[in-house]
Amino acid sequence: MSEFLSMGGYGRYLWPAFLLGFGIVALNFWMAVSSLANAKREAKRRLEMQS
Amino acid sequence: MATWTWFHRFGSPPWVYGFARRWAPWFGGAALLCMLIALYGGLVLAPPDYQQKDAFRMVYVHAPAAWLSLMIYTTMAVAAAVGLIWRMKVAHAVAAACAPVGAWFTVAALGTGMLWGKPMWGAYWVWDPRLTAELVLLFLYFGYMGLRAGIEDPAKADKASAMLAVVGVINVPIIKYSVEWWNSLHQTATVMKLGKPKMDFDMLWPLLLMFLAFALYFAAVLLIRLRAELLRRERTASWIREVLT
Repeated sequence: MSEFLSMGGYGRYLWPAFLLGFGIVALNFWMAVSSLANAKREAKRRLEMQS
Repeated sequence: MATWTWFHRFGSPPWVYGFARRWAPWFGGAALLCMLIALYGGLVLAPPDYQQKDAFRMVYVHAPAAWLSLMIYTTMAVAAAVGLIWRMKVAHAVAAACAPVGAWFTVAALGTGMLWGKPMWGAYWVWDPRLTAELVLLFLYFGYMGLRAGIEDPAKADKASAMLAVVGVINVPIIKYSVEWWNSLHQTATVMKLGKPKMDFDMLWPLLLMFLAFALYFAAVLLIRLRAELLRRERTASWIREVLT
Protein backbone atom coordinates (compact mmCIF):
# COMPACT_ATOMS: atom_id res chain seq x y z
CA MET A 1 0.00 0.00 0.00
CA SER A 2 2.77 2.47 0.96
CA GLU A 3 4.51 1.58 -2.32
CA PHE A 4 1.31 2.46 -4.19
CA LEU A 5 0.96 5.73 -2.30
CA SER A 6 4.58 6.74 -2.88
CA MET A 7 4.19 6.19 -6.65
CA GLY A 8 7.93 5.71 -7.11
CA GLY A 9 8.66 8.95 -5.23
CA TYR A 10 6.25 11.03 -7.35
CA GLY A 11 3.33 10.69 -4.91
CA ARG A 12 3.84 14.18 -3.48
CA TYR A 13 3.09 15.63 -6.94
CA LEU A 14 0.69 12.99 -8.23
CA TRP A 15 -1.82 12.88 -5.37
CA PRO A 16 -2.21 16.67 -5.04
CA ALA A 17 -2.80 16.78 -8.82
CA PHE A 18 -5.54 14.14 -8.56
CA LEU A 19 -6.99 15.88 -5.52
CA LEU A 20 -7.07 19.20 -7.38
CA GLY A 21 -8.51 17.73 -10.59
CA PHE A 22 -11.20 15.59 -9.02
CA GLY A 23 -11.85 18.21 -6.33
CA ILE A 24 -12.78 20.59 -9.14
CA VAL A 25 -14.96 17.87 -10.69
CA ALA A 26 -16.84 17.50 -7.37
CA LEU A 27 -16.97 21.25 -6.72
CA ASN A 28 -18.40 21.99 -10.17
CA PHE A 29 -21.11 19.40 -9.70
CA TRP A 30 -22.03 20.80 -6.30
CA MET A 31 -22.04 24.39 -7.66
CA ALA A 32 -24.31 23.39 -10.57
CA VAL A 33 -26.79 21.59 -8.27
CA SER A 34 -26.74 24.48 -5.81
CA SER A 35 -27.28 27.01 -8.62
CA LEU A 36 -30.33 25.03 -9.83
CA ALA A 37 -31.73 24.79 -6.29
CA ASN A 38 -31.37 28.57 -5.86
CA ALA A 39 -32.99 29.27 -9.23
CA LYS A 40 -35.92 26.99 -8.34
CA ARG A 41 -36.34 28.68 -4.96
CA GLU A 42 -36.33 32.15 -6.56
CA ALA A 43 -38.82 31.08 -9.24
CA LYS A 44 -41.17 29.53 -6.65
CA ARG A 45 -41.02 32.66 -4.52
CA ARG A 46 -41.90 34.78 -7.54
CA LEU A 47 -44.82 32.54 -8.41
CA GLU A 48 -46.13 32.73 -4.82
CA MET A 49 -45.89 36.54 -4.89
CA GLN A 50 -47.82 36.63 -8.19
CA SER A 51 -50.65 34.40 -6.96
CA MET B 1 -36.19 17.99 -42.97
CA ALA B 2 -36.49 15.82 -39.84
CA THR B 3 -33.04 17.05 -38.74
CA TRP B 4 -34.15 20.68 -38.89
CA THR B 5 -37.30 19.92 -36.90
CA TRP B 6 -35.07 18.37 -34.25
CA PHE B 7 -32.77 21.41 -34.31
CA HIS B 8 -35.69 23.84 -33.94
CA ARG B 9 -36.81 22.08 -30.75
CA PHE B 10 -33.61 23.35 -29.13
CA GLY B 11 -34.97 26.87 -29.58
CA SER B 12 -37.83 26.11 -27.19
CA PRO B 13 -36.89 26.76 -23.52
CA PRO B 14 -39.55 24.42 -22.02
CA TRP B 15 -38.52 21.58 -24.33
CA VAL B 16 -34.83 22.13 -23.52
CA TYR B 17 -35.65 22.28 -19.77
CA GLY B 18 -37.47 18.93 -19.99
CA PHE B 19 -34.67 17.41 -22.08
CA ALA B 20 -32.07 18.58 -19.53
CA ARG B 21 -34.08 17.21 -16.61
CA ARG B 22 -34.44 13.79 -18.28
CA TRP B 23 -30.86 13.36 -19.49
CA ALA B 24 -28.59 14.94 -16.84
CA PRO B 25 -28.84 11.99 -14.37
CA TRP B 26 -27.99 9.48 -17.12
CA PHE B 27 -24.95 11.46 -18.26
CA GLY B 28 -23.86 11.96 -14.64
CA GLY B 29 -24.22 8.26 -13.76
CA ALA B 30 -22.34 7.14 -16.87
CA ALA B 31 -19.60 9.71 -16.16
CA LEU B 32 -19.11 8.44 -12.60
CA LEU B 33 -18.91 4.81 -13.74
CA CYS B 34 -16.41 5.60 -16.52
CA MET B 35 -14.31 7.75 -14.13
CA LEU B 36 -14.03 4.98 -11.53
CA ILE B 37 -13.03 2.34 -14.11
CA ALA B 38 -10.55 4.74 -15.77
CA LEU B 39 -9.01 5.64 -12.38
CA TYR B 40 -8.51 1.97 -11.56
CA GLY B 41 -7.03 1.35 -15.00
CA GLY B 42 -4.75 4.37 -14.85
CA LEU B 43 -3.54 4.13 -11.26
CA VAL B 44 -3.41 0.36 -10.78
CA LEU B 45 -3.41 -1.56 -14.06
CA ALA B 46 -1.32 0.67 -16.37
CA PRO B 47 2.45 -0.03 -16.22
CA PRO B 48 4.88 2.82 -15.33
CA ASP B 49 6.34 4.78 -18.25
CA TYR B 50 9.94 3.89 -19.17
CA GLN B 51 11.06 7.54 -18.94
CA GLN B 52 8.65 9.33 -16.59
CA LYS B 53 8.01 6.27 -14.37
CA ASP B 54 4.86 6.71 -12.21
CA ALA B 55 4.77 10.48 -12.78
CA PHE B 56 3.20 9.80 -16.19
CA ARG B 57 -0.05 8.84 -14.36
CA MET B 58 -0.64 12.57 -14.02
CA VAL B 59 -1.88 12.32 -17.63
CA TYR B 60 -5.13 10.71 -16.40
CA VAL B 61 -6.23 13.95 -14.77
CA HIS B 62 -4.22 16.64 -16.61
CA ALA B 63 -4.97 15.71 -20.22
CA PRO B 64 -8.77 15.29 -19.79
CA ALA B 65 -8.97 18.57 -17.82
CA ALA B 66 -6.97 20.45 -20.48
CA TRP B 67 -8.97 18.89 -23.31
CA LEU B 68 -12.23 19.77 -21.54
CA SER B 69 -11.12 23.39 -21.05
CA LEU B 70 -10.75 23.67 -24.84
CA MET B 71 -13.88 21.69 -25.68
CA ILE B 72 -15.99 23.83 -23.34
CA TYR B 73 -14.66 27.04 -24.87
CA THR B 74 -15.42 25.72 -28.37
CA THR B 75 -18.95 24.73 -27.25
CA MET B 76 -19.40 28.18 -25.71
CA ALA B 77 -18.21 29.95 -28.88
CA VAL B 78 -20.43 27.82 -31.16
CA ALA B 79 -23.45 28.44 -28.88
CA ALA B 80 -22.64 32.17 -28.79
CA ALA B 81 -22.39 32.26 -32.59
CA VAL B 82 -25.75 30.44 -32.93
CA GLY B 83 -27.23 32.97 -30.49
CA LEU B 84 -25.84 35.89 -32.48
CA ILE B 85 -26.81 34.57 -35.93
CA TRP B 86 -30.23 33.03 -35.22
CA ARG B 87 -31.04 35.11 -32.13
CA MET B 88 -31.75 31.92 -30.22
CA LYS B 89 -32.12 32.69 -26.50
CA VAL B 90 -31.39 29.10 -25.47
CA ALA B 91 -28.04 29.27 -27.28
CA HIS B 92 -27.02 32.29 -25.20
CA ALA B 93 -28.12 30.39 -22.08
CA VAL B 94 -25.91 27.44 -23.13
CA ALA B 95 -22.92 29.77 -23.61
CA ALA B 96 -23.52 31.38 -20.20
CA ALA B 97 -23.81 27.95 -18.55
CA CYS B 98 -20.51 26.82 -20.14
CA ALA B 99 -18.33 29.68 -18.88
CA PRO B 100 -17.89 28.89 -15.15
CA VAL B 101 -17.35 25.17 -15.83
CA GLY B 102 -14.76 25.98 -18.49
CA ALA B 103 -12.95 28.42 -16.21
CA TRP B 104 -12.71 25.80 -13.44
CA PHE B 105 -11.33 23.18 -15.83
CA THR B 106 -8.76 25.65 -17.12
CA VAL B 107 -7.67 26.12 -13.48
CA ALA B 108 -7.52 22.31 -13.17
CA ALA B 109 -5.43 22.02 -16.35
CA LEU B 110 -3.01 24.73 -15.21
CA GLY B 111 -2.76 23.42 -11.63
CA THR B 112 -2.23 19.77 -12.55
CA GLY B 113 0.19 20.86 -15.28
CA MET B 114 2.23 22.79 -12.71
CA LEU B 115 2.36 19.72 -10.45
CA TRP B 116 3.54 17.62 -13.42
CA GLY B 117 5.99 20.29 -14.55
CA LYS B 118 7.92 20.44 -11.29
CA PRO B 119 9.30 16.86 -11.32
CA MET B 120 9.72 16.78 -15.13
CA TRP B 121 11.01 20.29 -15.95
CA GLY B 122 12.27 21.36 -12.53
CA ALA B 123 9.83 24.29 -12.31
CA TYR B 124 6.15 24.74 -11.55
CA TRP B 125 5.77 27.42 -14.19
CA VAL B 126 7.64 28.44 -17.33
CA TRP B 127 6.48 31.01 -19.87
CA ASP B 128 6.08 28.29 -22.47
CA PRO B 129 3.74 28.94 -25.44
CA ARG B 130 1.29 26.15 -24.42
CA LEU B 131 1.12 27.27 -20.79
CA THR B 132 0.85 30.94 -21.67
CA ALA B 133 -1.93 30.32 -24.21
CA GLU B 134 -3.83 28.22 -21.64
CA LEU B 135 -3.51 31.10 -19.16
CA VAL B 136 -4.92 33.43 -21.84
CA LEU B 137 -7.87 31.00 -22.11
CA LEU B 138 -8.53 31.45 -18.40
CA PHE B 139 -8.53 35.24 -18.87
CA LEU B 140 -10.96 34.85 -21.79
CA TYR B 141 -13.35 32.92 -19.54
CA PHE B 142 -12.98 35.62 -16.86
CA GLY B 143 -13.55 38.31 -19.50
CA TYR B 144 -16.70 36.56 -20.76
CA MET B 145 -18.15 36.20 -17.25
CA GLY B 146 -17.12 39.72 -16.24
CA LEU B 147 -18.70 41.21 -19.34
CA ARG B 148 -21.98 39.37 -18.71
CA ALA B 149 -22.02 40.46 -15.08
CA GLY B 150 -21.16 44.06 -15.95
CA ILE B 151 -24.06 44.72 -18.33
CA GLU B 152 -27.52 45.00 -16.79
CA ASP B 153 -29.62 44.58 -19.93
CA PRO B 154 -29.65 40.78 -20.57
CA ALA B 155 -29.99 41.15 -24.36
CA LYS B 156 -26.99 43.50 -24.54
CA ALA B 157 -25.01 41.27 -22.17
CA ASP B 158 -25.76 38.25 -24.39
CA LYS B 159 -24.65 40.08 -27.52
CA ALA B 160 -21.45 41.62 -26.13
CA SER B 161 -20.30 38.44 -24.38
CA ALA B 162 -21.13 36.33 -27.44
CA MET B 163 -18.88 38.55 -29.57
CA LEU B 164 -16.02 38.10 -27.11
CA ALA B 165 -16.57 34.32 -27.06
CA VAL B 166 -16.52 34.13 -30.87
CA VAL B 167 -13.41 36.31 -31.25
CA GLY B 168 -11.62 34.46 -28.44
CA VAL B 169 -12.05 31.08 -30.13
CA ILE B 170 -8.90 31.90 -32.14
CA ASN B 171 -6.99 30.95 -28.98
CA VAL B 172 -8.17 27.31 -29.20
CA PRO B 173 -6.08 26.31 -32.28
CA ILE B 174 -3.22 28.42 -30.87
CA ILE B 175 -3.23 26.26 -27.71
CA LYS B 176 -3.56 23.05 -29.71
CA TYR B 177 -0.76 23.76 -32.18
CA SER B 178 1.51 25.90 -29.97
CA VAL B 179 3.74 22.87 -29.30
CA GLU B 180 4.32 22.47 -33.04
CA TRP B 181 4.55 26.12 -34.10
CA TRP B 182 7.03 27.24 -31.42
CA ASN B 183 9.84 25.72 -29.38
CA SER B 184 8.13 24.28 -26.33
CA LEU B 185 9.01 22.30 -23.23
CA HIS B 186 5.53 20.78 -23.38
CA GLN B 187 5.34 17.45 -25.15
CA THR B 188 3.62 17.21 -28.54
CA ALA B 189 0.30 15.42 -29.08
CA THR B 190 0.31 11.86 -27.78
CA VAL B 191 -3.27 10.76 -28.27
CA MET B 192 -5.07 13.40 -30.32
CA LYS B 193 -3.10 12.95 -33.51
CA LEU B 194 -3.91 11.52 -36.88
CA GLY B 195 -2.65 7.98 -37.33
CA LYS B 196 -1.45 5.77 -34.51
CA PRO B 197 -1.28 7.23 -30.97
CA LYS B 198 2.19 7.07 -29.39
CA MET B 199 0.93 5.36 -26.22
CA ASP B 200 0.83 1.66 -25.48
CA PHE B 201 -2.73 0.27 -25.35
CA ASP B 202 -2.44 -0.64 -21.63
CA MET B 203 -1.85 3.04 -20.87
CA LEU B 204 -4.15 4.35 -23.58
CA TRP B 205 -7.50 2.74 -22.74
CA PRO B 206 -7.85 4.31 -19.27
CA LEU B 207 -7.00 7.68 -20.78
CA LEU B 208 -9.57 7.35 -23.56
CA LEU B 209 -12.15 6.22 -21.00
CA MET B 210 -11.29 9.23 -18.81
CA PHE B 211 -11.81 11.54 -21.82
CA LEU B 212 -15.24 9.96 -22.30
CA ALA B 213 -15.97 10.30 -18.56
CA PHE B 214 -15.08 14.02 -18.60
CA ALA B 215 -17.21 14.60 -21.71
CA LEU B 216 -20.22 12.87 -20.09
CA TYR B 217 -19.60 14.78 -16.86
CA PHE B 218 -19.55 18.08 -18.77
CA ALA B 219 -22.84 17.16 -20.48
CA ALA B 220 -24.43 16.46 -17.07
CA VAL B 221 -23.15 19.66 -15.42
CA LEU B 222 -24.03 21.77 -18.47
CA LEU B 223 -27.61 20.46 -18.48
CA ILE B 224 -28.02 21.18 -14.74
CA ARG B 225 -26.61 24.71 -15.15
CA LEU B 226 -28.74 25.24 -18.25
CA ARG B 227 -31.92 24.49 -16.27
CA ALA B 228 -30.90 27.11 -13.68
CA GLU B 229 -30.08 29.61 -16.42
CA LEU B 230 -33.44 29.05 -18.15
CA LEU B 231 -35.36 29.47 -14.88
CA ARG B 232 -33.67 32.84 -14.32
CA ARG B 233 -34.08 34.05 -17.89
CA GLU B 234 -37.67 32.93 -18.43
CA ARG B 235 -38.91 34.30 -15.11
CA THR B 236 -42.13 35.67 -16.61
CA ALA B 237 -42.94 32.70 -18.86
CA SER B 238 -46.02 30.58 -18.12
CA TRP B 239 -44.19 27.27 -18.59
CA ILE B 240 -42.16 27.95 -15.42
CA ARG B 241 -45.31 27.43 -13.31
CA GLU B 242 -46.01 24.13 -15.07
CA VAL B 243 -42.54 22.68 -14.50
CA LEU B 244 -42.32 23.77 -10.87
CA THR B 245 -45.74 22.58 -9.69
